[in-house]
Amino acid sequence: MINELTPVQQDRLHEQKTKYTNKAFWLQLIFIACLILVPLVIPSFRVTDMVAKIMIMIVLVASYDLILGYTGILSFAHHMFYGIGAYSVALLFYHSSNPSAYLLIAAIIIAVALSFVLSLLLTVFSLRVQAIFFALLSLAVAEFMLILSEQWTSLTKGEDGVNFPLPDLLSSANASGRMVTYYLILVTCLFLFFLLMRFVQSPLGKVLRGIKDNEKRATAMGYKTLRYKIVPIVIGSCIASIAGILYALWLRFVDPVTVFGSALMINILIMVIVGGLGTLWGSICGAVLVYLAQTWLPDLLKVMASVLPPHPIITGLTERWLLYFGIMFVLIIIYFPRGVIGTIQKVINEKKAERLRKGA
Amino acid sequence: MSSQSILRQENIKKNYGWFIVIVICLLPLLKISFDNYITLTIAGLALGMFVFLTASGLSVIFGLMDVLNMAHGAIFAFGGYASYTVLKRLGTLGWVETGTLGQSWASFGLGILAAIIVGVVVGFIIERVIIRQVYGDHLKQILITFGASYVMVEIIKIIWGPNVEPISIPDAFGGSWVLGNIIISKFRIMAIFVGVLVLIVSQLVLKKTKIGIIVRAGVENKEVVQAIGYNINKIFTAVFLVGAALAAIGGAMFSYNKLSVYPMMGEEQFIFAIIVVCIGGMGSIAGSFIGAIMVGLAYNYVAFLLPPLALGIDILLMAIILLIKPKGMMGQ
Repeated sequence: MINELTPVQQDRLHEQKTKYTNKAFWLQLIFIACLILVPLVIPSFRVTDMVAKIMIMIVLVASYDLILGYTGILSFAHHMFYGIGAYSVALLFYHSSNPSAYLLIAAIIIAVALSFVLSLLLTVFSLRVQAIFFALLSLAVAEFMLILSEQWTSLTKGEDGVNFPLPDLLSSANASGRMVTYYLILVTCLFLFFLLMRFVQSPLGKVLRGIKDNEKRATAMGYKTLRYKIVPIVIGSCIASIAGILYALWLRFVDPVTVFGSALMINILIMVIVGGLGTLWGSICGAVLVYLAQTWLPDLLKVMASVLPPHPIITGLTERWLLYFGIMFVLIIIYFPRGVIGTIQKVINEKKAERLRKGA
Repeated sequence: MSSQSILRQENIKKNYGWFIVIVICLLPLLKISFDNYITLTIAGLALGMFVFLTASGLSVIFGLMDVLNMAHGAIFAFGGYASYTVLKRLGTLGWVETGTLGQSWASFGLGILAAIIVGVVVGFIIERVIIRQVYGDHLKQILITFGASYVMVEIIKIIWGPNVEPISIPDAFGGSWVLGNIIISKFRIMAIFVGVLVLIVSQLVLKKTKIGIIVRAGVENKEVVQAIGYNINKIFTAVFLVGAALAAIGGAMFSYNKLSVYPMMGEEQFIFAIIVVCIGGMGSIAGSFIGAIMVGLAYNYVAFLLPPLALGIDILLMAIILLIKPKGMMGQ
C-alpha cells in the first residue's frame, strides 16, 4: 500500500518518462525544423517575411502572456516597450555614420535599460493600489509615448518614420544579409521563448500562478506579492523591447503609428486570447491564426463586396475589417475565453481524469 | 499626537485638492502674459467640463458596479455624431446659421437631446448585450468593453464616414466677447456653465433624494443595499444609462467647441477621463469635478508652453496623486 503511487504521481512519472517521445515534443521539433528550413527551401521571399514577422509576434505575445496569463495583470503598454526597442535600434543606426555590430549591442543595452526603468516606474506607482490602476496608467503612458514619438521630431523624425542602414553582416547590400538576419531572429526568438518557458516552470513561476489564483492566500502564506508581481512585468517588458529590436532589424524602417499605436496592442490582446491565456504555446497558435486571418480577411471581404450590390452601408461593412475583428474579439471573450490551446488542454485533462476514474 | 494636530492633518488632507488647483492656476502666471492666461484658463476650464461629463459617469459606474467601461469614450463619440446629424438637418432648414435667437437655442437643445437619446440607447445596448455577460470578472469586463469600443468606432466610421466632419453651431453661440486684449469665447463660458450645472444637479440628486442615497450606499456597500431589499440590477442599469447620457452630452458639447467631429474623438477624451477618475477617486462626482478642473487647466497651460508634453503633465499629476492618496482625492 505504501509503495503504490497516487494517480497524480503516476501521471507525473508518465509525463517524465515520455518527455522526449510524446506527440507534443515531436510537434515542437517539427515546428522548429520548419522554421529553420523555410528560407532555404521556399523561394518566395514573402513567405520568409511572413514567418519572420510571425516569430517576432510570437515572442511579443508570449511575453504578454507572461504578464496577463500567468500573473493576471492587464497592461495596455506592452506595445510601448516593443516600440522603445525598435526606436533605439533605428535611431542609433540612423545617427551613426558607420553602423557596426557593437552599435547593435549598445542598442540592446539601451532598449532593455529603458524598458526596465519604465516598467519599474509603472509598477511601483500603480501596483501598490490595485491592478486596475496599472492598466489605466499604462494606457495613458502608452498614448503619451505615441504623441511624443509623433511630435518630438528632432529626436524621432516624427510621423515619417526612420529609415536606417544595418551593419554589413546583416544588411541587404550583400546577398546573404537577409538570411543572416532571419537566422539571428530565429535563434533569438527560440532563446527568448525557452527563457520564458523556463521562467514559468521555475519556483518563481509557480508562486506567480498561486498569486493569480488567490492573492490573499499567497499573502497569508508569507509571499510579498507586490515584489512577485513586479518581476514578471519587468521581464516581460524587457523581452518585448528585444522583440522590437528584432523587428527593426528585419524591417529596417520604424514609424510611430505602427509600433506605438493602439492597433498593435489590440492585436497582441486578440492573439493572446485566441491562443489561450496562461499557456505559452497559445501565443504561437494565436499569433499564427490571427496573422493569417489579418492577411486574408480583407481579401475575403473584397470578394464578398464584389458579389453584393454597391450600397454605401454594404461597402462600409466590407471595408472595415477591424469591425469583424472587434466582434470576434468580443465573442471569443464571452464564449471561448480559454482560447485554442486552453480548450485543448482542458479536453486532454478531462479525458485523463476520465481514464483515471475508470481505471481506479 | 494631540487631537488638534490630527484634526489639522485631516483638514489639510481634505482640502489639498483645492490647494493643488490654486497652485496650478497661479503657477503659469510666471511665464504667460495675463491676456493669454485668461484665454487659456477659460479654455482649460471648458476642456475640464467636457472631461468632467465623461468622467463623472465613468466614476460612478465604476464605484457602484465595479465595471470599468472602456467603451465610454465611444458613447462620447456617438453623442457628438448624433448632435452633428441633428444640426446638419436643422442647418438645411436654415435654423442654424441664419436663424433667430429662439431657433438657435432650439437647435442647440435639440442637438443635446439627440445626443442624450443616442447615448442612452447605446448605453442600454452595451449594458445588456455585453456587460451582462461578464458580470463579476474584472479582467473580462475590461477586455470586452475594450473590444466593444473598437467595434463602435468602426460602426461610426461605417455610418458617418471616417473623415473629420465640420459642424456649424448656431450663430448665437459662436464668436466671442472682446475685453480689451482678452478674447473670451462665448461657447466656452456656456460649457463651464453647463458643467457646473451638472455638478450642482448631481450633488442635489445624490444628497437630497432617496435614489441618490441608495446610489451612494450602493457605492459603499452593494450587498447591504441588496439585503435591505432594493433590486440592485435595476439601479445598476439606471446609473449606467445616466452615465452614458452624461458622456453623450459631453461629446455633443465637445464637438460644438471643436466645430468638428471625428471617429477617434471618443478614445482621445477617454484617456483624460481615465486620468480624472484616478485623480478624483472612483465613485465620486465631486472628485471628478476637481480632477477635471486640474487636468483641463494643466493640459492647456502646458500645451501653450511645450505642446508635446501636455498629456505628460496630466500623467504626472495622476502618478503623484496615486502616490499620495491612492484611492483618489475623494475616493472610497
